[in-house]
Amino acid sequence: MANPIKPDNSVVTTCAYCGVGCGFKAETYEGRVVRMIPWKEGKANHGHSCIKGRFAFDYYISPERVLTPLIRTTIDEPWRSVGWPEAIEYAAKGLRRVQEKFGRTSVGAVSSSRCTNEEIFLTQKFARAVLGNNNIDNCARICHSPTQFGLSATVGWGAASQHFDSILQADVIMVVGANPTEGHPVFGSLMKRRIRQGAKLIVLDPRQTESVKSPHLKADVHLPLRPGTNVAVLDSISHVVVRENLYAEDFIRARCEWHEFENWAALVGSDQYAPEVIGPLAGIDPQDIRKAARLYAGGPNSAIYYGLGVTEHSQGSTGVMCLGNLALACGMLGREGVGVNPLRGQGNVQGGSCLGSWPHVFSGYRFVTDDAVRASFEKDWGVTLDSEPGLRLPNMFDAALTGHFRGMYIMGEDPVQSDPNQNHIVEAMRRMEFVILHDLFLNETSKYAHVFLPGSSSLEKDGTFTSAERRVNRVRKVVEPMAGYQDWEIVVMLMNAMGYPAEYSNAGEILDEIARLSPAYQGLSFALLDRVGSAQWPCNESAPEGTEVLHTKSFPRANGRGTFMLTEYVPTAERTSDRFPLLLTTGRILTQYNVGTQTRRTPNTRWHSEDRLEISREDAEARGIRDGEWVQLTSRFGTTKLRAQFSTRVNAGVVYTTFHHAKSRVNRVTSDLSDWATNCPEYKVTAVEVTRVEQASETATAKRKKQKALEMA
Amino acid sequence: MSTGSPDHDDKTVLGMDRLITMANQIGDFFAPYPPERRAEGIRNHLRTYWDPRMRADLLDYIAAGGDGLKPFVVEGALLLKSGADPTGYYGPPQDAETRRIAGAAGLTRRGHNPA
Repeated sequence: MANPIKPDNSVVTTCAYCGVGCGFKAETYEGRVVRMIPWKEGKANHGHSCIKGRFAFDYYISPERVLTPLIRTTIDEPWRSVGWPEAIEYAAKGLRRVQEKFGRTSVGAVSSSRCTNEEIFLTQKFARAVLGNNNIDNCARICHSPTQFGLSATVGWGAASQHFDSILQADVIMVVGANPTEGHPVFGSLMKRRIRQGAKLIVLDPRQTESVKSPHLKADVHLPLRPGTNVAVLDSISHVVVRENLYAEDFIRARCEWHEFENWAALVGSDQYAPEVIGPLAGIDPQDIRKAARLYAGGPNSAIYYGLGVTEHSQGSTGVMCLGNLALACGMLGREGVGVNPLRGQGNVQGGSCLGSWPHVFSGYRFVTDDAVRASFEKDWGVTLDSEPGLRLPNMFDAALTGHFRGMYIMGEDPVQSDPNQNHIVEAMRRMEFVILHDLFLNETSKYAHVFLPGSSSLEKDGTFTSAERRVNRVRKVVEPMAGYQDWEIVVMLMNAMGYPAEYSNAGEILDEIARLSPAYQGLSFALLDRVGSAQWPCNESAPEGTEVLHTKSFPRANGRGTFMLTEYVPTAERTSDRFPLLLTTGRILTQYNVGTQTRRTPNTRWHSEDRLEISREDAEARGIRDGEWVQLTSRFGTTKLRAQFSTRVNAGVVYTTFHHAKSRVNRVTSDLSDWATNCPEYKVTAVEVTRVEQASETATAKRKKQKALEMA
Repeated sequence: MSTGSPDHDDKTVLGMDRLITMANQIGDFFAPYPPERRAEGIRNHLRTYWDPRMRADLLDYIAAGGDGLKPFVVEGALLLKSGADPTGYYGPPQDAETRRIAGAAGLTRRGHNPA
């Protein structure tokens, strides 16, 4: 049925779901959004959209939204509704009280990739200039922090080398640990279009995802590798490139550090990475590894797209380096149709990464330990800044358990639901003296907060998002902030209440400050974006309207050359055993988004009302599990219950689930292991056992009986 | 500014087991590099990414015997005491020889242009 409401106004803005960054015309009637129309001029989507951006916007008027600030003295008390001035003063005093009692470094902040660049930048300024420490992190910590680390190490910048449209020049597309048709649907459609035109497709994924086989799409090579073996398999692909002389020597000699190539070639070229060795280890056919290597190296244009299936591992950063190494070795960087491209989960993960919401770098990935960089910020902000890196998000929780971390400002995050090893996080939250949560909803984390500041959705504020293709898009206020303030205004109030004078008359002035202090954003302003629509960084004097393809002439490293990192495969400590013989891995589906804070509050739940555990028939039958039955999922970290779903998408030995619903509590089960370089959690590999629920309770009863018998004996 | 912290339950900022695991994982990554570069890689990583209290806890633990830490992790961590350039860098760990080969004028530890 056609929408009967004729809109009386419209504003062009950017979707806040995945990292594609689609442009939408938000149409309103009497101040309420009635339709989201995909915008034809949107440079990422060209008038296309997915089911989330198009339909899942009603969360902003959900009756569950909290519209007044709430405070309480302890987390056991009920919330008390108060006015903004009282809430801000209470919040400011609370953080200062903790600092006075436990020291300057006992508090910190975390920002969200659902917030704008301006808000993210301001939150890190709040931590550094107002709290006086570098305990600032953002949710990219738990998704793409290895991207920043691994790509910075090899090609210089932790960002996609291409624009999305570049895929239309690709002859070979390699998708690693990503499922674009579900997770990044508009880009997924573009990929399908190129495949229909004849491009070859290689997919590395433990699961037979929709990107392996679905209408208009079938992978030429699918490597259904065992979770946790990415680095081994990617090194093995490189082994074939080296041993069969498929590498681009001219490119490497002209554009890369040849001596580091030689070191790398010696490592991956060694017999230990031969497909015949790695194939059996990863559960794949060695010939398929060879086929993938030859296809990729043969190009002529080969492009890599990857996701959290690469990063969320104990060797996540190493996996990203493997991709950088491989692309450099095959000369697949610096022109259209090639490249290494992270697919970002949230609308502004790239912006979160760029804008200094990290404990070790300012905006532009520049180290806090660098005196010259720090001096430029000190001059602009008028305060002395801490020269030492702060705590990362997982370390903040660890430090809460030892009593060294006592207070936190959480902007637009739900660590209790989204961070791994939930029991550990809950205990850490309980130990904190003072927690400020700034969000749309009373999420799981709110149970442990002392102040709730009601935020604004992306429909209610001005600013910019940086998409996965480095595109800085305008976010425009479509409706008035329901709780009274845009999120950046709330941070400004908090800064002033804590004694740091901050004044911005609009979000554009924050972007001006970002441009002043971050070389890649130098040329960006609201005026430019209003004129050209959007621009990809680097945007500066030599590229006044931005840059589509990176690394065309040199790499952003001191000598201008790309380099190779040694990427030894180190198996994760998370192993299967007799008790936990299966490997659990996780993913997303088209209609829902992350932990579902937004999409669960829209009619999109019709298509996905619960998370299910995909299990092979073989593993299910061995456990007496019937299709659709409730099962208990247990790891050494915790347990939860889900409904089983027989699936041919997973091989025996692997089970899979989405994590869109809070009631599934998947993160009670996930492991506390993390990436060696960034502490990005290893969500993608957890050893588990699956049992029928009745059987599970029988086991527990049997155990109790046994214990009783022992006591009596 | 003071980092004074009067009232802590535990002496170390993170549980020591966690710190040891993290340090050894870093060591595992740099293990394939020749000894001098391996140690420098570990030093650079700890210096650039770890909160100073975590570094201090690790050094204290090493002073007390360093049980459970891989020997070359200890070697890299001890370089922190040398006061070498605290400014971090991305990319392969460097020694004098690789810096010479890399050859660019002004290729400092940084090895990186800001974004």
